[in-house]
Amino acid sequence: MSREPVPGELAEDPKLGELYRELQRDLEAAGSLPAIEDVRVAFLGRKGKITSLLQGIKDLVPEDRKRVGRLGNQLKGYAERALDEKAAAMGDLELEEALRREALDISLPGKCIQRGSRHLLSQIIEEIEDIFIGLGYQVVEGPEVELDYYNFEALNTPEWHPSKSLQDTFYIENPKGDYQDVLLRTQTSPVQVRVMETTPPPLYVISPGKAFRYDVPDATHSPMFHQVEGLVVDEGITLGDLKGTLEYFTKQMFGQERDIRFRPHFFPFTEPSAEVDVSCIICEGKGCRVCKGSGWLEILGCGMVDPNVYKYVGYDEESVSGFAFGMGVERIALLKYAVPDIRYFFDNDLRLLRQF
Amino acid sequence: MRVSLEWLSDYVDFEIDAQEIADLLTNSGTEVEKIETIGKGLEGFQVGLVLEVASHPRADRLSLCRVDIAGSIREVVCGAPNVKPGIKVPLAAPGSRLPNGTVIEEAVIRGISSHGMILSEKELGISEEASGIMVLDDAVEIGRDLASVLSMPDQVLVVEITPNRSDCLSMVGMAREVAALTGKQLKMPPSRVEEIAEPASGLVIIEILDPDLCSRYAARLIFSVKIGPSPWWIRRRLQAAGVRPISNVVDITNYVMLELGQPLHAFDYDLIEEGHIIVRRAKAGETLTTLDGVNRKLTEDSLLICDSKGAVALAGVMGGEESEVGERTSRILLESAHFDPPNIMRTARFQELPSEASYRFERGVDPNGCVRAADRAAELMRELAGGDVMAGAVDAHPRVIEPVEIDLRVARTGKLIGITLGSNEVADLLRSIELDMAGTKVEDGVEVVSVIVPTFRPDLEREIDLVEEVARLRGYQKISSTLPLTSKNIGGLSRGQKKMRSIGRTMAGEGLYEAITHAFISPRWLDILDPSRQYLPNDVFRVRNPISEEFSVMRPSLMPGLLETLRFNFNRRVTDLHLYEIGRVFLSDGDEKLPREPLRLGCIMSGEWFHKQWGGEREEADFYTIKGVLEELIGALNICDWDIRAKEFPFLHPAQSGLITIEGSEAGYIGTLHPRVAREAELPEKIAVMELDLESLIASSRDPRYREIPRFPAVQIDLAVVVAEDSSCARVEHVMREAGGPLLREVQLFDLYRGEQVGPGCKSLAFKLTFYALDRTLTDEEVMPLRDSIIETLRERFEARLR
Repeated sequence: MSREPVPGELAEDPKLGELYRELQRDLEAAGSLPAIEDVRVAFLGRKGKITSLLQGIKDLVPEDRKRVGRLGNQLKGYAERALDEKAAAMGDLELEEALRREALDISLPGKCIQRGSRHLLSQIIEEIEDIFIGLGYQVVEGPEVELDYYNFEALNTPEWHPSKSLQDTFYIENPKGDYQDVLLRTQTSPVQVRVMETTPPPLYVISPGKAFRYDVPDATHSPMFHQVEGLVVDEGITLGDLKGTLEYFTKQMFGQERDIRFRPHFFPFTEPSAEVDVSCIICEGKGCRVCKGSGWLEILGCGMVDPNVYKYVGYDEESVSGFAFGMGVERIALLKYAVPDIRYFFDNDLRLLRQF
Repeated sequence: MRVSLEWLSDYVDFEIDAQEIADLLTNSGTEVEKIETIGKGLEGFQVGLVLEVASHPRADRLSLCRVDIAGSIREVVCGAPNVKPGIKVPLAAPGSRLPNGTVIEEAVIRGISSHGMILSEKELGISEEASGIMVLDDAVEIGRDLASVLSMPDQVLVVEITPNRSDCLSMVGMAREVAALTGKQLKMPPSRVEEIAEPASGLVIIEILDPDLCSRYAARLIFSVKIGPSPWWIRRRLQAAGVRPISNVVDITNYVMLELGQPLHAFDYDLIEEGHIIVRRAKAGETLTTLDGVNRKLTEDSLLICDSKGAVALAGVMGGEESEVGERTSRILLESAHFDPPNIMRTARFQELPSEASYRFERGVDPNGCVRAADRAAELMRELAGGDVMAGAVDAHPRVIEPVEIDLRVARTGKLIGITLGSNEVADLLRSIELDMAGTKVEDGVEVVSVIVPTFRPDLEREIDLVEEVARLRGYQKISSTLPLTSKNIGGLSRGQKKMRSIGRTMAGEGLYEAITHAFISPRWLDILDPSRQYLPNDVFRVRNPISEEFSVMRPSLMPGLLETLRFNFNRRVTDLHLYEIGRVFLSDGDEKLPREPLRLGCIMSGEWFHKQWGGEREEADFYTIKGVLEELIGALNICDWDIRAKEFPFLHPAQSGLITIEGSEAGYIGTLHPRVAREAELPEKIAVMELDLESLIASSRDPRYREIPRFPAVQIDLAVVVAEDSSCARVEHVMREAGGPLLREVQLFDLYRGEQVGPGCKSLAFKLTFYALDRTLTDEEVMPLRDSIIETLRERFEARLR
């Protein structure tokens, strides 16, 4: 509170004017909340100076009563305001000082509820599922231990077919009987056949899951891995639809700026077939170690469902057409998250699990 | 397949560079994996003629050579054993640099100056041959630049041929693709053969006893051959293709195989008994020693080439050692045959003997290309090995395989690809790969092109095969991208799939990390966990051909994989581990061929838990921690009817384990891992585990319903009761709820105390009881009698006393 000149009317009365100046002086000198309270008592308390003044009005001559009463109340109102203001300011100051004494080292680590996480492969599978759900697909599953019929035969891969040698198969011994045709599925494609057997077209499905091939583990091979298989069968489905679908997927998964290349290829259960390359996400297509200098990364195999497959499941190849595609989840993870070794996914080292 | 461009240019005039050819091939289905350059850095070397060779006076193994390089004579010291006067050799002058970077300098070798160096193929960087200097063909001109004489450098496309494209396993096949893609004409190699008058027919008899496995067997006789090295152009082409040159006759069979795709075999005619070739299945117990020196037991479905005494070759796979062409051979019986692909595949697989020949036969070789290939090889043997070709091929052809005719519907082709096509465009595309058009017609109002497929394309059998040819030759890039109209279909997850996702999220939210472990485990785990198979099944599914014992049993439980993971981390000093896994286990399903594959949720917790931060108390995960995770999961899934009952499991601590039931059925176990198991598996002592059947969890998950929120204040009472140590908390709580009646809404344990104040054999359980009514504020007069009744009932049932 700065010292102000005594307001006009109060100044006309030497006694009240002096009281005003005294209040100002005392208030200015008060440096703490208790000191302010002392001033309040001294002026406004039961025996305070202003209180006494007002109590003394009745003893004044009638002509002074009115004037002193008005000025006295004016002074009292002023004193109350000034005391409150000073006390509030002083309170803020003292609180501020008290808070300063509660300073924290905000660089100490936070106290968190420890978060766990889902496996990176599960997260990628979910991401893939969601992209295709958005395109109208449903998610279906099938067994990991399969019959030769679903894994090979009904997928147009007869016993003697050269492509069968491309996928070395684990065979399974059933403890209850000597069956030669039980195996670990080498691909998620057998789910295609199982779904078509039980469901008439139209069909828009994807099937994520584990697959197994006889590969000794190394940085790029694992005897167990994950695939996502896709299948569409409907009227009038074209190779252009396959291309558009996978372009959409690839850009969603790897970024809109990626280039995509469709190359003719061979798979026993699709025709025409293709492999899909995405422009290298490491070097952006300039050529590097990961893409072996080609600028392209192979990420998908696909094609139009071979009419022979329809024969196995009883679809009419003349009235419907469709496409199928398959992709390796680990490969996507290796590329997208720069994990250097496929074995890391199944070691489950906590220090890796924590990163995703 | 390795495709030398120098060689390829014999059959097609391409005017584009290697990268452009590679791109065209890759974009039409023949993927070029890489482009190699061979014979780099040969500029600056010259052809020299060795005039004289004298021995080095001070070194037995060195010779002094005088080498003529067109005008000037150089004196060179040479250490190669095969140097001799009259041969032409590659010579490096002082100052020139070898492809490996070594600079040739004037040198004094044991007192004699050497003005250059005669080079081996290895030093030239064109092969691994280092046993002697390279001997050039006699015909080369002295003094010429070596690179041009060797037609180097050359580029080799390393190409991945898909299993359907057997026709591309030859230079001519590759040239046919390149010609089609560049609009050029394919130039076939010459088929003319110059024969002597004497016919072969009287000298060879061919009998095919199993025509189902051998549709054709053609033989030619070439007499008076001189076995020796092949000329450079053959050697370099074989080397570029990755085939090692051996001798002229063998090299020619390989050369023609690489050129035309027809595997050939050269027998020493004098070692074929009576010139009699018999093609038949092997007999039981029959054996044959193949060219690689291995004596092979043959199965009865292997096809053999025999003479009148016995087997001389494993048909289509490898020749026999006894009838092998050697240095002294002068009369050749050349075989060019067609064998059944599946049979060759089985034999090569069974004998673990993949060869260039079997690789081609199992994918399919042109049955009508036998004679042409035999003629080509015979002519080369005449030209390069000085042989006399006996007149005529002896061609046994019991089963003729004709070209097939396929009708291709033009509109359907366009509809499948998603483009508009005309019949002319279709015909032009197919003609470019040498398919013939028998004509176009309209059938049922549909335009059809009739296509005749030559027998060198056995993969083209159906209309769809031709659709693919049209699509790939026209180019996938030119197909515009569309999306199917999926108005009939709505995407989404099933209820179970949504629950699965929420289970994963809940577990991660509880602070656990998801592990994915192998579906096959080591059988040792089953013995450690449950040696007498009380809980885990005895009849597990095994992998017949496991990579190793570690991956040989299909898991009947998720626990082994999780414990293995724990050990993996523990060994790497990661000791605080809280993991879950969602995966299938494999259980026998009665007499079914396939196992049941129920989905399980497995969970292990070991080491420090939750209070990780500074200042807090260190807390180890234990039974109650994992039980807390279970309770939260049950809560998240809103399962109302569940329980844990004490039960022993062989791999769990006998006094810290329970059976989880959901809606009355067994759904899994929970407990502390048995210390015996932990010790045997080299795991830390205290591990809390559980395993649950996910399908029963999901099936019992209910949608939550609204429960009225009390508007009137609740009354809370703390009650500490002392009960015997063996009284279960759940029972006490249950009795309190019964006695407390409907106004008792919550019973929450907040303290467990054992010690002096309660005496031995007892424990004190402290509960917070919450009472409220939905329609009024409860008074003490209402609550106190309930409290007294609870205390009284506990006293009766448990001899409980207040603390």
